[in-house]
Amino acid sequence: MAEDEAMFDPTLKKKKKKKKTTFDIEAALAEGSISEVGNGDVEGKDDDPKQKDEEADEVDLDLDFTKKKKKKKKPFSTEELDAALNDINTENANETVNMEDGDDNFDMDMLDFSKMKKKKKKKDLDDIMAEGDEKEDKENVEVNTNEWSGSDRDYTYDELLNRAFEIMRDKNPDMAAGKKQKFVMRPPQVVRIGTKKTSFANFTEICRMLHRQPKHLLDFLLAELGTSGSVDGNSQLIIKGRFQQKQIENVLRRYIKEYVTCHTCRSPDTILQKDTRLFFLQCETCGSRCSVASIKLGFQAVTAKRAAIRAKTA
Amino acid sequence: MSIQNLNTFDPFADASKGADDDVQDGLVHIRIQQRNGRKTLTTVQGLSSEYDLKKIVRACKKEFACNGTVIEHPEYGEVLQLQGDQRENICQWLTKAGLAKPDQLKVHGF
Repeated sequence: MAEDEAMFDPTLKKKKKKKKTTFDIEAALAEGSISEVGNGDVEGKDDDPKQKDEEADEVDLDLDFTKKKKKKKKPFSTEELDAALNDINTENANETVNMEDGDDNFDMDMLDFSKMKKKKKKKDLDDIMAEGDEKEDKENVEVNTNEWSGSDRDYTYDELLNRAFEIMRDKNPDMAAGKKQKFVMRPPQVVRIGTKKTSFANFTEICRMLHRQPKHLLDFLLAELGTSGSVDGNSQLIIKGRFQQKQIENVLRRYIKEYVTCHTCRSPDTILQKDTRLFFLQCETCGSRCSVASIKLGFQAVTAKRAAIRAKTA
Repeated sequence: MSIQNLNTFDPFADASKGADDDVQDGLVHIRIQQRNGRKTLTTVQGLSSEYDLKKIVRACKKEFACNGTVIEHPEYGEVLQLQGDQRENICQWLTKAGLAKPDQLKVHGF
């Protein structure tokens, strides 16, 4: 992210300087009007309060226009970014005056940009890639909308499909129509205790994250690993035998696949219920309900010393 | 003295066994257990009782260069037990020998 910002910075500064030399009150007014238009647009989407805030920021910025010269040395801020974006947009506006619905389009652009800037700081590279794709999609869509906006011809299937997807993404940006939903989890902390035991330190925390009873996960882990173990006072799990984090991760992944994610829609938002001796997985997202395999220990070979067992039983 | 004609006859008795080759039905559970030190034990549970487990274990021992036995369990029937981590080996061998399909094999453990 730092690199990104660094990359953005110089261009920003340039824009900034240009602004200071060339722009006057008229430009500022123009900006004000644009941001107003933006506000009008945003009111349509009540589900995104973040955007509204940003718009508000922009308006403030416009009011404080005179003070900006003092802010010049501030390294990087969203306000500056937004201002710069406004600049770009105004320039765009000048270029695309002849377009009928140019206004709407670049308002969309502006919103998109501000959204992206906000998100980029938080998310990882993959997400950025995905969003980049989305952005590209959107641009394509916009081209398409431009194509049919003036004419009276029939719409092609692709155009309509793109439009439907665009609306879908606009209405709920979190839903991620195209991109895969990722189920991010904290890795299990696995530490060896002595030579024969392994500690799974954040066991209860992971149970809480998965919304599962610790007992259920414990049963599964012990059955899969074919050992014994228990939860100790510090809410960590002590397993008999040597296990590495990688191995525990594998087993956890299998658990999540079977008992956490919905088998129909793969959403992790599920509830595990016990009903007449069977476990059922109820999905909160799609409402599907299906039974899951019960945890069976299966055949356990004798691994302890037979003499010791005999001594115990006799 | 019974009347032959009134005997119940299930015409689908053969069909339920599965027409396609002689692949068994039901899951085969392949588990691993840790022993002392870095030694492990692989158990294969759920192989059809129609197979001669003794012959299978003899072939496996030779193939994987390990020791192994057949254990009689009151609940799970005959269980194959091999020394060492033979999970990969046994999966490949069972599919290659045509004793089980890959989707019937269920590998447990880490």
